[in-house]
Amino acid sequence: MNGINYLFLFFPIVLVILVVLEAARSDDPKSILKRALANLGVLTAVLVLGGAFVYVINRWF
Amino acid sequence: MVSVIAAALFISLIVFLPKGERVKGVAFFIGWLIPGAGHVLVGKWKKGLFFFSILGATYLFGMWISGFRTVTFDDNPFYFVGQFGSGATLLIAKMRGAEKAIIRPGLDPSWFDPGLLYVCVVGLLNLVVMLSLLDARALADAVPSDAAAPVAPAPPAPAPAVPTASAPEKPA
Repeated sequence: MNGINYLFLFFPIVLVILVVLEAARSDDPKSILKRALANLGVLTAVLVLGGAFVYVINRWF
Repeated sequence: MVSVIAAALFISLIVFLPKGERVKGVAFFIGWLIPGAGHVLVGKWKKGLFFFSILGATYLFGMWISGFRTVTFDDNPFYFVGQFGSGATLLIAKMRGAEKAIIRPGLDPSWFDPGLLYVCVVGLLNLVVMLSLLDARALADAVPSDAAAPVAPAPPAPAPAVPTASAPEKPA
């Protein structure tokens, strides 16, 4: 676990990036937070699915 | 060199922008110096304070990971250039540039690269914040500008009061 715990730093930095990008194009705080969290969910899903795919490939193929 | 480029960019924005939009050029330059200050200048102080807080916290967190020593060219050339997106981070990097970043004692060595990334991302995000100042929608309700003022629609013309030939006559 020691080697990959830096992955926990993924969530804050991605959330900061998404919030700033949304805040640069919108003024509504609710809309900014909603869209940033939705995009964070999508990116996290892509990361998890990609990691699972690589794990399966390395484990059984 | 960076100062010359920044000054040339600033003068260009002042000269070539229309008179009503010159405040955007000043805000663009001030926004590069201090993240969020451009938005404060054009009247959006809440948004400017938000940008300053979130970018400042991210920068401090990255600096805390990397032992409060900024990213040098030897650490990572790409992350080093990323600091140029903000005058404040560039100034701190220039002041402490001789000291290479080190991982903070007690942290796992694998955190070192993300720490440098945090410092770099602040500079890059500040470029986005600066560019949002040049967006017409960003200043629509903040700075009155002749060029950006919406044109009021013309009132509808009154209908002509011409009697038609097919209108029924009033019985006597």
